[in-house]
Amino acid sequence: MPQPSVTYLPFVALAAVLLPFAGSLLSAIAGRRSQSGAIAITAIAGSLLTAAYVFAQVWGNAPVHGQWQWFVIGETPFHVGLLLDNQSVLMLLLVPLIALPVHLYSVAYMKGDPGIHRYWMYLGLFCFAMMALVVADNLFLLYVCWELVGFASYLLIGFWFTRDTAVQANKKAFIVNRIGDIGLLIGIAILYAQFGTLDIRTLFDPHGLVAASVVADGQWIASGRSMPAIWLTLSGLAFLLGAIAKSAQFPLHVWLPDAMEGPTAVSSLIHAATMVAAGVFLLARIFPLFNGTALMVMACIGVFTACMAAYFALTQYDIKKILAFSTISQLGFMVAGIGMGAYHAALFHLATHAFFKCLLFLAAGAVIHEMQHLNKQYGLEIDPQDIRGMGGLRRQMPLTFTVMAIAALALGGFPLTGGFLSKDALLVHALEWGAIQPGLLRLLPYFLFAAAGLTAFYIARLIFKVFVAPPAIDRLTQIHEVGKWMLVPMLFLAACSLFLVFSLHPFDVGRAWLTQGMVPDTLPPTLPAAHTLVPVTATLIALLMAWLAWKWYVKGAYPLRTTGLLYKLSLNQGYLDKLYDLAVISPVLRLSHVLREADRYLVDGTIDGLGRLGRLLAALAGWMDQYVVDGTVRLIGKIAYGLGNVLRRTQTGRVQYYLFTMFFIVLIVLLYQMIIHA
Amino acid sequence: MNPHLLSILIFLPLLAAVVMLLIPTVQKAAYKYIALVTGGLQLLLSGYMYYRFHPKGAGITEERLYQFKEHLPWIRLDMGGMGRLEIDYFIGVDGLSMPFLFLTALIMIIAIGASWNMQKQLKGYFVLLMILNMAVMGVFSALDFFLFYVFYELMLLPLYFLIGIWGGARREYAAIKFFLYTLFGSVFMLLVIVGLYFSVTNPETGAHTFNMLHMMDPGNYAPNSLFSWLAENQLFGVPARLLAFIVLFVAFAIKVPIVPLHTWLPDAHVEAPTPISIILAGILLKIGGYGILRICFGIFPDMALQSAWWLGLIGVVSILYGAFVALAQRDLKRMIAYSSVSHMGFVLLGAASLTAEGLAGGIFQMISHGFLSAALFFLVGVLYDRVHDRDIYHFRGLASTMPRYTALVAMTFFASLGLPGFSAFIGEAFVIIGTFNSESAHGVLPRWMAIAGSVGILLSAAYFLWTLQRMFFGQPRFKGGQEWLAVLKDTSTRETLIMLPMLMLALTLGIYPAFALEKINASVLALVSLVTGG
Amino acid sequence: MITLTHFLVVSACIFAAGMYAVLARRNAIMVLVGIELIINAAILNLVAFGRYDSTHYGGQVFAVFAIVLAAAGVAVALAIILNVYQHYKTINPEDIRDLKEK
Repeated sequence: MPQPSVTYLPFVALAAVLLPFAGSLLSAIAGRRSQSGAIAITAIAGSLLTAAYVFAQVWGNAPVHGQWQWFVIGETPFHVGLLLDNQSVLMLLLVPLIALPVHLYSVAYMKGDPGIHRYWMYLGLFCFAMMALVVADNLFLLYVCWELVGFASYLLIGFWFTRDTAVQANKKAFIVNRIGDIGLLIGIAILYAQFGTLDIRTLFDPHGLVAASVVADGQWIASGRSMPAIWLTLSGLAFLLGAIAKSAQFPLHVWLPDAMEGPTAVSSLIHAATMVAAGVFLLARIFPLFNGTALMVMACIGVFTACMAAYFALTQYDIKKILAFSTISQLGFMVAGIGMGAYHAALFHLATHAFFKCLLFLAAGAVIHEMQHLNKQYGLEIDPQDIRGMGGLRRQMPLTFTVMAIAALALGGFPLTGGFLSKDALLVHALEWGAIQPGLLRLLPYFLFAAAGLTAFYIARLIFKVFVAPPAIDRLTQIHEVGKWMLVPMLFLAACSLFLVFSLHPFDVGRAWLTQGMVPDTLPPTLPAAHTLVPVTATLIALLMAWLAWKWYVKGAYPLRTTGLLYKLSLNQGYLDKLYDLAVISPVLRLSHVLREADRYLVDGTIDGLGRLGRLLAALAGWMDQYVVDGTVRLIGKIAYGLGNVLRRTQTGRVQYYLFTMFFIVLIVLLYQMIIHA
Repeated sequence: MNPHLLSILIFLPLLAAVVMLLIPTVQKAAYKYIALVTGGLQLLLSGYMYYRFHPKGAGITEERLYQFKEHLPWIRLDMGGMGRLEIDYFIGVDGLSMPFLFLTALIMIIAIGASWNMQKQLKGYFVLLMILNMAVMGVFSALDFFLFYVFYELMLLPLYFLIGIWGGARREYAAIKFFLYTLFGSVFMLLVIVGLYFSVTNPETGAHTFNMLHMMDPGNYAPNSLFSWLAENQLFGVPARLLAFIVLFVAFAIKVPIVPLHTWLPDAHVEAPTPISIILAGILLKIGGYGILRICFGIFPDMALQSAWWLGLIGVVSILYGAFVALAQRDLKRMIAYSSVSHMGFVLLGAASLTAEGLAGGIFQMISHGFLSAALFFLVGVLYDRVHDRDIYHFRGLASTMPRYTALVAMTFFASLGLPGFSAFIGEAFVIIGTFNSESAHGVLPRWMAIAGSVGILLSAAYFLWTLQRMFFGQPRFKGGQEWLAVLKDTSTRETLIMLPMLMLALTLGIYPAFALEKINASVLALVSLVTGG
Repeated sequence: MITLTHFLVVSACIFAAGMYAVLARRNAIMVLVGIELIINAAILNLVAFGRYDSTHYGGQVFAVFAIVLAAAGVAVALAIILNVYQHYKTINPEDIRDLKEK
């Protein structure tokens, strides 16, 4: 591969990464004065330009690696560095490309919010963390950014911190992500213990240390070190755990629906390119590490998540919740794709998904924004996010309807959209992968098809309910189209959701430039038939589903009971939150209470008991001293005193009495003597 | 460079104490200014020493690698048949102690700042504070065991009075508990010191010695002495060296503290006035960790290697237990006290791993916990000063009424729960990495300990964030109603100024840990090779 | 013939009478007389036993010596009684109890 022509590329990339951070810092310094967001928008625009330049220089060329020593611990140096290869520059470009429209949109969307200066600060931090994450050249740095992304999302989800639901959601998001962070940390620890380095290139290069390590005799051996082979699988699973939490896969997806409590613009960013993408990106980044078991687990989790989340999305009424579950489902597709070895297709889907999902959220935000406006204007109290209170908005908000429809088509995987291409790539690959799998694993691809069908259904339901079905109340006809600050970013994203951005050929994913940039080394044998069959089948299924949704929701021929078990299960998200509450949170809190009581009464009680015992012994000794030891002494004194008191009676003071006594005693002595001598 | 720099650093507070004693009691303001100037001078001095400290000065066993050292004969007493008593005034600094000297100076000045509004018996308070300051500095620099013990015990006395006189409602109980607990440990330490004294001879003079460095060299032990490496004596059916190691470990572990010897900590913290809480958490706990590394590991490296598994287990238990109990606390200060137990568990776990990463991570964690726990206690003090209440459930939505305070608390909380960019993250991450590496490196700690320890990181996020959510977010609602609303003013400039250096340090060390690591690396490596023998 | 036993019996009778006077009488003068009787009983014994010392006449010499001393003693005792009488306005020994601590 040709080398990029310039040597200062790392610095340019660094500038792209640091610009949002600088913007964030400046916003923080400016405080309340930075309400307009001019600083943040300038920063992200600059970041976009530099990132685009880096992208143009690196894409298709050999990776560029720049690093500087950070610190040395013991004898091991750690570096701060950028690794610019196809994967990372793609993401480096994608983040500001999504973030810039979101920033612009936020200008109008967040207007008048009292905390808006904080908003710009957090947003900058969020973009910075994500961009740094994608270019990080070692896993430790990646971990740092990984957590920072979580932190920034914590700040943004809880942006309206006086709302209880918001602050519970951001706490939940952070803690659930922390579970993943632990997985990541342990994965890092395993790699460090085994290889002594965390440099991504050294480890995961085609000829890197991971590729060179072998499993023999139940031992995983690498460059003089070895550990039981199970740790190879465990390391893969540990990283997978990190990705599961960050990319909201089952069973750690529960934070994402709640994260809707943040401003909608933030949701769009979280769901598109900055937060949930990190997990998928990580999996693609360290792909060589995963062995068969880890990949299988990954594929299963991905497929299950895709189906489960799509199923949950079917019955949600909150417009943002539907989209949230849609994200989880789509991420499931990506994770499954990586599990099946097609990380190029997964990243492709990540990129297309980023555009249309961001757009879906922005459009949903536009609807919510106008609904709130309507509420305020007429003193209504409709839930602005409940799709049951909407309907027929296509007449009042034609542009919003158009862009959202485009995004929905892309999500549903209809032809001529980017989503069609990437979903196709995933499905085709899944079939090819399934063809060489043993046993039940062969069925996994078909579940993906089912999930794709459900996707088409729920997004069609959303669009129909909001825009096409008869209005829920008459006032809805008074709603307006949103302003141009919000429209322009949406139009831009709509354009990016079409196929032209990714491939000149609307139907052949093989020609998409994006996947050509990073094809994995080993792929299962191609099934030529699948390449024509899959698009056709998938489209047909999607059409069928859309038609069904049309019939149910627009024509009002709704056939289901809302009390059925399956319906309730979907509506309540599988009762997973309640399950976790019962199975995890309550036991942990109970344990902590038990331990607190144990600490107070058992541990501290023992100590206090020892103290009391000491005092008791002291009291005993004191009593002994007072009454036994000193008592004896005083008893002797008392005896002497008493004796004296008795004897003093003899001292009458009468001389004759004394004389008599003397005489008497002498007499007795004499008598005694006489008796003895006798 | 002045050869007595270290002595000046140690005894400057003593001078200040003498000056304070001479000043009549009516000059109330004078005391705090003298204390502040002393603290400032110490901070400058220790900062300069830190800057001048050569990274290659590994120290540990080799006297020539110690820096700023002073070695003078102190007590020479001919004891007839028992030989000559040889006690030296021997102080010096290596990578193990240098960061703590700086930390002590920093925490001291912060404690002085936190005592600014103190009203009660200022003279006594500041004199005791200065004596404490001197003792702590002495503990961190003493290289003669006798001298160490003198400073170590000297430290207890002022603390007892500082808690017992200036403390809260149950101050006498807390002070006595603290005092007895620590004394319990150190009394047995004295026995070991005496035993070591009779076992070790100075190779130059042939006399028995208290010199710690001589105690670290197996060659200096008399062949049949109690603690001889070769004799393998038994005491009460336990190898003598093991018993001595355990005794010393318990003495220092009480300070750390470890579960189940930790219960003095919550009481002492809750009852102590804010500045003393700061000192307790910021410095005193570190003396435990420092003692374990310098003395337990230094003098009994063979036993350290042998007992590492148990130390690691104690570390893991402390991490998890402290975190769980913290989760259930209602009293904010108690919650933070238990979080200290949990965070100090990482120190023990890192030390037990006997890897450079784990050990350096543990020391880093101690430094980081030094100013982060000080910051946490200071922040609790800010709230307590205003409404004299610390119950988490009595506050809600503080973010709306005290935004600056909330920002400081949130930063400190996130720093403490190990957010990257703050120092605690580096410490905890490397403790986990080092622990994990331990089995691969020399098979000391099993890998599950690292995994169990990392659960503590998760729990710390849980209790800090939960507290943040309960106290600071949501709609404002206070137990004291309007009355509280009136007094809950945002942090003053003085309070913000005190917080800033701690947060800045946490950030600086988090972003560029080399500032600390480059100074401690050499010593860590020396200690690791001393213990693992490689 | 008058044997030693006769002397001793007489002497014992005198001693007993003296003793009685000393212990029982309520008049210091009579007590003094009793003392004199005891002394005389002793002197009588001395003289009686002096018989066995015909070379030095130790008994007789000692008796004379005792008589002189008794005379001197009586003089002093009478003086004391006189002073006692002046002080206590009585010479009944029963009434003079200053030897006992109050």
